Amino acid sequence: MATQALSDQQERLTMRATAAAGGQSGNRHHSGRLASLLTWVTLLPFLLFCLLFEILPVLITIEGSFTNGGSSGLSLASYQRLLAQASNLRAFQNSIALSLVTALIGGLVGAIAAYGLANVRLSWLRKLLISFCSIAANFAGVPLAFAFVATLGVTGFVTVALRTWLHLDLYSLGFSIYQFWGLVLVYIYFQLPLMILVTLPALAGLRPEWREAAINLGASPAQYWQRVALPILWPSLVAGTMLLFANAFGAFATAYALAQGNINLVPILIDFLINGNVTVDFGLGDALAVGMIVVLLVAVAIYTAMLRRASRWQGH
Amino acid sequence: MLSLSRRQRGHVPAAQSAEASAKKAKPGRLGRQGGALGARLVLLLVLLYLLIPLGATLIFGLSSGRGWGDLSALGAVFSDPDCGQTLLTSLGLALATTLLVVLLLTPTAYQVRLRLPQARPVLESLALLPFAVPPIVLGTGLLQEYSGAAASSPLVALLSLGLVPLLSKLVTTLDIPLVLICAYGVIALPFAYRAIDNSLRAIDVKVLTEAAASLGAGWWRTLLQVILPNIWPGVLTASLLTFSTVMGELTLASLFNSYTFPIYLDMTGQNDPHRAALLAILSFLVTLLCVLGMVPVAGPRPERASLPGQIEGAGLR
Repeated sequence: MATQALSDQQERLTMRATAAAGGQSGNRHHSGRLASLLTWVTLLPFLLFCLLFEILPVLITIEGSFTNGGSSGLSLASYQRLLAQASNLRAFQNSIALSLVTALIGGLVGAIAAYGLANVRLSWLRKLLISFCSIAANFAGVPLAFAFVATLGVTGFVTVALRTWLHLDLYSLGFSIYQFWGLVLVYIYFQLPLMILVTLPALAGLRPEWREAAINLGASPAQYWQRVALPILWPSLVAGTMLLFANAFGAFATAYALAQGNINLVPILIDFLINGNVTVDFGLGDALAVGMIVVLLVAVAIYTAMLRRASRWQGH
Repeated sequence: MLSLSRRQRGHVPAAQSAEASAKKAKPGRLGRQGGALGARLVLLLVLLYLLIPLGATLIFGLSSGRGWGDLSALGAVFSDPDCGQTLLTSLGLALATTLLVVLLLTPTAYQVRLRLPQARPVLESLALLPFAVPPIVLGTGLLQEYSGAAASSPLVALLSLGLVPLLSKLVTTLDIPLVLICAYGVIALPFAYRAIDNSLRAIDVKVLTEAAASLGAGWWRTLLQVILPNIWPGVLTASLLTFSTVMGELTLASLFNSYTFPIYLDMTGQNDPHRAALLAILSFLVTLLCVLGMVPVAGPRPERASLPGQIEGAGLR
């Protein structure tokens, strides 16, 4: 009897303890959820900022492309107008060609130059050159356009110098800084240093041990590059090139200041449609903008996929 | 400018800057192969390509038809009242944007590192999106959002929690380029976020915060007196990148009819290429100062972070 009572009491105690523990853990869980809700609240200003000025403009542009700038019901009219005019399609063709050419040249030459830079032995010189690349990569837009007019314009310094000293008249040879290949030269000016800055860290990821191991196993330098270094580097190089592509594809100010609308590129076309003095056509502008977003999303998707691939070799 | 670096290796706590890591890539005696020599030759050619336009522009700007070294051209640039006025406008916009970006990003990035690692992908995507949405596209959307048809659309009002109608009313009544500043902020976001987040990654946010908390510091005090001094180089880099982005940005200013320095530069340059050349050199010097401000960040302290996909760059093309 006594033992029975004792065990009963014990049981009750245990039960109470369990209940208490359960209650407590439930409480802790609850307050944890509340705290995590509160921490999300601290992100609210930033998330609202992004919603208002980053997400909504994109959504409104997409919506506008299907409602002719918000002036009609749902329709594909804007896209039909985009496709009906050959100049619109040529703008996309020009923009993609310009971005691709400058990204490929900038990517290839920039990567090799980055390797050269990584091999500069004097540390102060290397630092100086990296800083200079940072400045050059940031020196774009209107000032860059005018720098190239001053250099390779009709009366530009280099044009005149070539004409007087080498009797080489660039403009009678068909070159013009205001046309496609001129623009290629200007864009390459900011693409090259950009690629160097993007590639340097990837080159640093090549561990000297890998090279030593390859050489010890009898590989020639060429074989080392072909079998070891390039397979590791190429995702980073492709990512860098995609970044250059996106960089050039969205560029507006440089081309605008240089050619004042004489070259048919998508950003210039959009500016003409929505910032024009005569009429404003948001419908077509939105459709062109959506076209740009689609092209750029492809580039950004390749960029992120390649970065993920590259991080495989980075000790994770 | 961008700099993309790899994740720190294994347990090595700090990531290296591009400069510090470039040192590591230096191959020893094997580097003296023909390949490295050829690469250095290419580097030399690239540097020439980058330097020649600068030198040519300087000479072109100073030779306004009456021989070289004519400094009256320089005087004419500065005596134009529009030059000083637009420079001031751009300075104001740049400072406002820098303040906005730093104030928005620093607490957010800190909080995500400390307590909300699950929110990182959200932040990463938001910081990546501006690459797919160049200024001309962003401007197209913003113009419609705040002054076009969409400003009065009930759907937009609902999606923005009623903020878009409020803001568009505010923009028309107040004479502050609020939307323009925020748009600049979005353009600078990828670069600024990388800079701040990387320096947060280089320190142990949890340990520092717990230490501060055990000494009785609250959240704000911890952020301002413990975290901020430790990530100061990253914040400085973010600020300078934002600043130089705004100082050179033309697209959005043109869409929002704001008379900024790049617009002035564009207008002047179409009439007077010599003056434009001098102004281009002036812009180059502004960029130079901004980058020089960042150099100590990338320089002496090797633990300064720079990580995969780190992007220190500007959206002013």
